[in-house]
Amino acid sequence: MENTIELNKDVNIIAYYFRGQGRPKCFPKKMEFDGKQVVFTETGLRHPTHKGQRMIHVFDMTDGQADYRLEFDAEELSWKLLYMADMRYASAR
Amino acid sequence: MHLPVNSEEPQIMHIDLNSCFATVEQQARPLLRGQPLGITNRISPHCCVIAASYEAKTRGVKVGMRLDEARQLIPELIMIETDPPKYHWVYQNLMRIMLSYSPAVTMKSVDEGVIDFHGTRSNINQRSLSDIGHEIKKRLKDDLGCWMRCNIGIAPNRFLAKLAASLRKPDGLDIIDHTNLRQTLSGLKLTDLNGIAERNQARLNAQGIMTPLQFLDAPSNLLRRQVFRSICGEDWYQRLRGHEIDDYDSGVTRMVGRQFVLDDMQPTDQVVRSRLAYLCETTGVKLRYRGLCAQGIMVHVKYASGDAWYERKMFKTTFFSNAEVYRRATLLFNKRPRDAYEREIGVTCYNLSPSNISQISLLEEVNREVWLTQAVDTINERYGEFTITSLNSAISKDIVTQKVPFGSTRYFELLN
Repeated sequence: MENTIELNKDVNIIAYYFRGQGRPKCFPKKMEFDGKQVVFTETGLRHPTHKGQRMIHVFDMTDGQADYRLEFDAEELSWKLLYMADMRYASAR
Repeated sequence: MHLPVNSEEPQIMHIDLNSCFATVEQQARPLLRGQPLGITNRISPHCCVIAASYEAKTRGVKVGMRLDEARQLIPELIMIETDPPKYHWVYQNLMRIMLSYSPAVTMKSVDEGVIDFHGTRSNINQRSLSDIGHEIKKRLKDDLGCWMRCNIGIAPNRFLAKLAASLRKPDGLDIIDHTNLRQTLSGLKLTDLNGIAERNQARLNAQGIMTPLQFLDAPSNLLRRQVFRSICGEDWYQRLRGHEIDDYDSGVTRMVGRQFVLDDMQPTDQVVRSRLAYLCETTGVKLRYRGLCAQGIMVHVKYASGDAWYERKMFKTTFFSNAEVYRRATLLFNKRPRDAYEREIGVTCYNLSPSNISQISLLEEVNREVWLTQAVDTINERYGEFTITSLNSAISKDIVTQKVPFGSTRYFELLN
């Protein structure tokens, strides 16, 4: 995608868990990468996908300055930052 | 014979997600909201806009427009590539919501579906469909996000329900029934009717039918014998009056295939064969996913010079494995003229029949092919697609990515 910077890095995440209707729901709230802290203000969309039989949850998040795509590997319980999309970067292209 | 307008209470609801792919991307990435946005399958200077946000549409960008044309209208247009798993998730959620009202749900494509409320439970059908429509809109926002919007049309048949859904975009909810049919049609052009484009409009105009109201008032004989000169005229006569004639399933698979516009303007023979191998592999996967085997295969090539070539062949034996699709496609592909660089290649399997893969053969080599294919499919299913793949197609798997199928959701599960 032209307005994204691919990172594909393991990151530390602080997530909130809410008990919704029936089952707990998880949302990332804070992320640490490259010595910086990012506080998410909104979840865009959460969708599950598969890598073979491994369940991966994809979270599209924003902190109001940039959009971030995170992957949560439900088998390894690890978070990965796939890319960030900065609007200034997008409009510059 | 004169057929009156159907005065039945509307029981058909058509739901259409607004600019589906663009809206989903704007939902997922809040910074894109309110921005002119285009979606394409693969970004290149000549790629085509397959979905545009309302902000882009209001400034003249149309679906099917090339990126360079769209950028002339909106220089700051943001173009991003499709993300099928995301749309698959939205599709699944839309279907789940629709199925909670009636089992008679038909998905017409990735972003639109029809609910038939005939014979539903009393706790559903005693509510007004307008209330249910508003509830569906709310559930879509609650379940997926605040940016998700849909158009809803309610009418006695599928055609009028789709028409109602197109009256007020985005986020409309309209009802067409016998009381407002004439009033609704009086505000439309012939080409606003789904299924009437320039050619059909010309046919109607030639018989003095210039407006949808005149189309509605035209007698069945005129439509059947002079305008459409086929049973289609009778179909239109009934359709416009709110009688259901579009409730059929045309889900017979006649062909399975894939095509690809080459990523290299001057591809080497090795690159073209690699792309072909990949297309054959995904065609084989599609065949087995549908439980089919094929007897015929067609290969087509479009050249940079504008010329096109195709060759097809029917075989005595059926086939279903990736290797066999590739072997047979290569037999035809080797016959192609080599006067110019290839721009697009495609493989299509036809004359399909239910697969006999579970039938053990008397021939050991046939059994070995079946077992090998099943073993490879099992491994790929467990560890991810193309974990085991032919060396020839391996270099193409990151370039020829799976794309969103239009008009059909038959292979949607394969996009995950």
